[in-house]
Amino acid sequence: MRLQDIKVQLEAEQVAGSPRPELEIKEACAADLMSDVLASARPGSLLLTGLTHPQAVRVAALASLAAVVFVQGKEPLRDTLVAAEESGLPLFVTQLSLFESCGRLYQAGLRG
Amino acid sequence: MRSRGAGTRTQLTKLEELLRELRVEEVMTRRLVSVSGDFTMAQVKELLRKHRISGVPVLEGEALVGVVSIEDVTRALEQGEMGAKVRDRMSREVITVFADEPAVEAVKRFAHTKVGRLPVLDRGGKVVGILTPGDPVGRAFRVMDLRYREQEQQRWQQKGLGLEDLLGEGASLVLRFRVQGEDFAGAGKASVQAKRVLGRLGLDPGAVRRATIAAYEAEMNLIIHTRGGELTLEATPHSVVVEAVDKGPGIVDVEQALQPGFSTAPEWVCEMGFGAGMGLNNIQSCADEFEIESEVGRGTRVRAVVHLSQSGRKDRLNR
Amino acid sequence: MKLIEIAQRLGLKVEAGVDHLENEVRGGYAGDLLSCVMARAKTGDLWVTVQRHPNIVAVAVLVGLAGIVVTEGGNIEPATLERAEQEGIPILVSSASAFRVVGELWDLGIRGE
Repeated sequence: MRLQDIKVQLEAEQVAGSPRPELEIKEACAADLMSDVLASARPGSLLLTGLTHPQAVRVAALASLAAVVFVQGKEPLRDTLVAAEESGLPLFVTQLSLFESCGRLYQAGLRG
Repeated sequence: MRSRGAGTRTQLTKLEELLRELRVEEVMTRRLVSVSGDFTMAQVKELLRKHRISGVPVLEGEALVGVVSIEDVTRALEQGEMGAKVRDRMSREVITVFADEPAVEAVKRFAHTKVGRLPVLDRGGKVVGILTPGDPVGRAFRVMDLRYREQEQQRWQQKGLGLEDLLGEGASLVLRFRVQGEDFAGAGKASVQAKRVLGRLGLDPGAVRRATIAAYEAEMNLIIHTRGGELTLEATPHSVVVEAVDKGPGIVDVEQALQPGFSTAPEWVCEMGFGAGMGLNNIQSCADEFEIESEVGRGTRVRAVVHLSQSGRKDRLNR
Repeated sequence: MKLIEIAQRLGLKVEAGVDHLENEVRGGYAGDLLSCVMARAKTGDLWVTVQRHPNIVAVAVLVGLAGIVVTEGGNIEPATLERAEQEGIPILVSSASAFRVVGELWDLGIRGE
C-alpha cells in the first residue's frame, strides 16, 4: 500500500517530514509503549500511536520505520515536529482513534 | 579564495535546481491557522501571538477572501479599533501560489511583491497551506542535506568499504555521550545521533539498528532510573559495543530486573509510554553478547555487543 | 456481539473472568496509555492492549469495559489475573499484534470512533 493511500484511508494530514507519497508500506505497528515498538516493529513498518512526544519519532527513526501516524487528532508537540523534520520521517495526524485506524488499514490490506 | 567562490557557486546552482524540482507543497507549512471575517482584530492579535506568526489567511467557508497581518493589527491598535471585524480590515488582494507549482515560483513571487506570506491553493481553489519567505530556501537546504547523507551512505555501501578501510587495522571509533538523569525532553537524542553516524559510515544497517535500539533502551534507563551517566558506542570492524555506566542508585535484584514486565519506573514515566519493564529485555534480544553488573549505592554497568555481519552473511534484520 | 463469540472466532485464550464471557461488546478501543483509555474508552468497549500491569483491571472497572484483550502473548502477572478474577473482568490473550487483533475485530463488525 502506498503512503498516499494510507493517508486517504485515515483521512490524515501530513504535518512534518519528507513527502513520500509513493513509498510502499506492507506492515503496521500499533503501540503506545515505545519498548514495544522497538521489540516488535519490523523495519519499513508504519507506526500508529497515541504518543505525541518526540520519543515516538526518535524511536521510529531508530527502528528504521517508514512513517508515523498520530491518532485521535493529537497535536504533536513542537519538539516532535522538529525531530521529524530532522530525520525526514513523514509524520501524519488523523482524527480517527487507534482502533478505527488499525481496522481501516487492515481491511485495506496492511498487515502487522 | 578562488576555490571558496567556486564552491559557493556550485551550492547555489544545486539550490536553484532543487527549487525548480521541489513543488510548493513540499516546502509549505501544512498546519494552517486561519480566521473568518467575523473575527475581531483583538482575536487576531491573540492568535498571532499564540502561534508566533505574522499573518493569517481569512476564509469564508473554504474560500480564501483575504489576508490579515500583524501590520493590520498594529494599525487597528493605533486607531483604537481592536473591536473591528477582520472583514473590514484585511487586505483583499491576495497573492497566492498553487501547491503543484515549482518552489522557485514562490521565491520569485516573494522577491517581486514583498509580501510576508503566500497562501497555497490546490487547483480547486482550496487553501492547503502557507509559505513564508524563508520556507522554500530553508527547506530546500534541508532536503539537500538529507539527500547528501543518503548519497554518502550509498557511496560507502557501494564501495563495500568497511570500518577497517576508514580507520585502519586495529582502530575503533568511540561515540561518548553524557546522559542527564530525568532529562526526558532530550532522551533518545544520543542514540539517534549515534545511528546517524554509524549509518553514514556505511556499517551494516541491520546491525546498526540493533546496536542503537540497545543504546536507546540503555539511555532511557539512565534517564528514568539514575542520576545520569555515560553512554558509549564503540564501533570496530567486527562489532558495535554499547555500554551504559551510571553511579547509582543500583539495582537491588538483577535477576528480577531482567524479567519481562518487571518495572520500578514511576507512574509518570509509564504514562509517557515508557517503564513497561521491557528495556533490559530489548537490550538483551538485540545483542549478541550481554552483560550487566550492579551494586546498590554504587551503580550499574550494562554492556551489549552487536556483531557486524561478515560479507555474504545477511544480518538478522528482524532479530 | 457477545465476548464469548469473539473469543471463539479470534481463538483467544481466556485467562481470567471466565464467568463473564456473556458480556456484550459494543465497540472497541486500542491503546496502552492508561489515562487515554480512561478519557476515551466507552462503557462496553473491548480494550486491546499490550499492557499487563494490574492497573489495567482498575481501568477496566472504572470505565466499565466489556473485557481486555492482551496482545503479543506472553505471561500476564499473577497479580493482574488475581485482580481480574476478583473484579470480574475477563482477560483474553492473543499471540498476535495489536494491529492484527484490531483488524480481526473490525472484520467482525466491532468499531471504534
